[in-house]
Amino acid sequence: MKRFGFVDVTLRDAHQCLWGTRMTTAMMTPILADIDRCGYDTINILGGAVFDVCVRYLHEDPYARVKLLCEHLRTPTDALTRGQSLYTFELFPDDVVELNAKVLAKLGVKVFTVYDALNDNRNLESSIKAGREAGMKINGWMTYTLSPVHTDAYYVARAKELVKLKADLLCVKDPTGLLTPERGRTLFPALVKAAGKTPVQLHSHCQSGLAPEVYQIAMQSGFTHGYTASEPLANGASLPATEEIADRARRLGYKLSLDRKALKAVADYFRWLCIRENKPAGVVAKYDPALYEHQIPGGMISNLRYQLQTMKIEHRLPEILEEVPRVRKDLGYPIVVSPFAQYVVTQSVLNVVQGERYKTIPDEIRKYAVGYYGKVAAPLAPEFLERLNAKDKDFVTERPEDHIKPWLPRLRRELPGASDQELLLAAFYDRRLLEPLKKPQPEYAWRTTPLAELAGWLAQRRDIEYAHIRFAGTEMTFSS
Amino acid sequence: MRSRELTYEDLLKIAEVIRTASHFSEFRLKVGDIEVSVRRSNGAAPALAQAEPLAAPPEGAPEDRVLSKAEIPGSAPAVRAPMVGTFYRAPSPGAPPFVEAGSKVKPDTVVGIIEVMKLMNQIEAGVRGTVKEVLVGNAEAVEHGQPLMLIDPR
Repeated sequence: MKRFGFVDVTLRDAHQCLWGTRMTTAMMTPILADIDRCGYDTINILGGAVFDVCVRYLHEDPYARVKLLCEHLRTPTDALTRGQSLYTFELFPDDVVELNAKVLAKLGVKVFTVYDALNDNRNLESSIKAGREAGMKINGWMTYTLSPVHTDAYYVARAKELVKLKADLLCVKDPTGLLTPERGRTLFPALVKAAGKTPVQLHSHCQSGLAPEVYQIAMQSGFTHGYTASEPLANGASLPATEEIADRARRLGYKLSLDRKALKAVADYFRWLCIRENKPAGVVAKYDPALYEHQIPGGMISNLRYQLQTMKIEHRLPEILEEVPRVRKDLGYPIVVSPFAQYVVTQSVLNVVQGERYKTIPDEIRKYAVGYYGKVAAPLAPEFLERLNAKDKDFVTERPEDHIKPWLPRLRRELPGASDQELLLAAFYDRRLLEPLKKPQPEYAWRTTPLAELAGWLAQRRDIEYAHIRFAGTEMTFSS
Repeated sequence: MRSRELTYEDLLKIAEVIRTASHFSEFRLKVGDIEVSVRRSNGAAPALAQAEPLAAPPEGAPEDRVLSKAEIPGSAPAVRAPMVGTFYRAPSPGAPPFVEAGSKVKPDTVVGIIEVMKLMNQIEAGVRGTVKEVLVGNAEAVEHGQPLMLIDPR
């Protein structure tokens, strides 16, 4: 009997997609023991947005969170970085990338996942090397998109590159849920074949509503694992529910290691957490054919609408969405994922508002176009190149990190006696942003009950001065 | 009735009742085997968690000195904002400004940056001459076509 395994994303991508990445460590600790019992093969706990939101908005030290979660989970943990960009959108020198891998391994991370938003695997070389030397398993992602150049053969070539770089695991990452069962039927078997003995996994979002079907095709094509979330935090912009994919796998006769009781305990907790924290649960998305044209993730469209509102040009959204596919083509089909999603959208806004294409080209797009971040997937359009007005010597063909000098010697000089984690944080952030991280860690709760949650919730609500609850022979009175 | 543990299903029912009846100062409700009585404090607004805005605030605080949007004399050409956004006078917080009044500029001299939706756009002088006056302070919001500075052509 064949087995299908699961990777949990509830503590990372699920709340990134549905809650703007605002899940705090204190919200995770009470349910950690139950998550650990679910039978996941790996639990993803870190990614670029989680790292950044921890620092900027939650004022938590992201490395401290990683350490705490690794200490309390027996299930192997997984940390995701954007390869050479780590947690941001800028490129870092090799010495910073290496130190980060070493620190994560020391904190207890077992699987080191890396991807590059251009699928330029040269940007993963130093991460893979450093991660392996630090003793972690390497999980190489390929980012899926739709374009005339992102063919099955294109992805087969990327898979072969990752196998050659000795990745232990491969994964297709579909950030906007663009995969269809039809494409899966050709792409997935081709990837499994190209990967040989290396396991291939699927990480797809639910914007189009097709993801659960696509997961089923992946299983049938020989994929070994699927990334999923606890049911209340699944669907919509998030990933499919573990419960739903498990049901499909069981019906197809796969052997699973999941514990249904533990899954229910976790889902119950997060369903309540949505109410307690006034945050949305995932809703199954309706099929939207326009998604395949502009490819912009749902969360980003609402963000764009807000930005257009502040510029008082909200009424031009339809024109802008129409301009997006054209800009994407002219720019050589960048994948509509961070940071290039922002590039394509902003250039489209500029084109529409200025009534002229490429009159203004942002600096970041100029850098992208000359290959500063890595190889561009398809040739740039002549109309764009003309306005770009770059000289031959401006184009970068070597490995992007080769022209970045090491940073650690300077940081060590500036911060004598700093720990490796402190050095890294100083490499990523302005010192002023790091001050709030120095506050002592709160006392975390490691278990909770519905009764304790009720008491805490009522006590917190300043609008309630008295509450009396009676159920099944038990009575409780809360009074301020 | 046999005693049992409160479940998350019970908790969700109780929370639902309390939240939907927010306009009553006092109420009592029975759902299945659960009875809820609540009295609210006078006039206090329900303490609902507010979602934080997702957009990051612009880096660096605005300068104290804010220049008036002077009338543009007919003779001096103005460098205008190509887009609505945030104007920055320096390449990074704390760095000296690209240009000051009196700076000599060529058409391709960078005189400022406009941040549009988190991306940076370099603004070039467009003419040869001397900066006569900078009309917009650092980190100020600018409108499409708004004059940013005046250049005395030579």
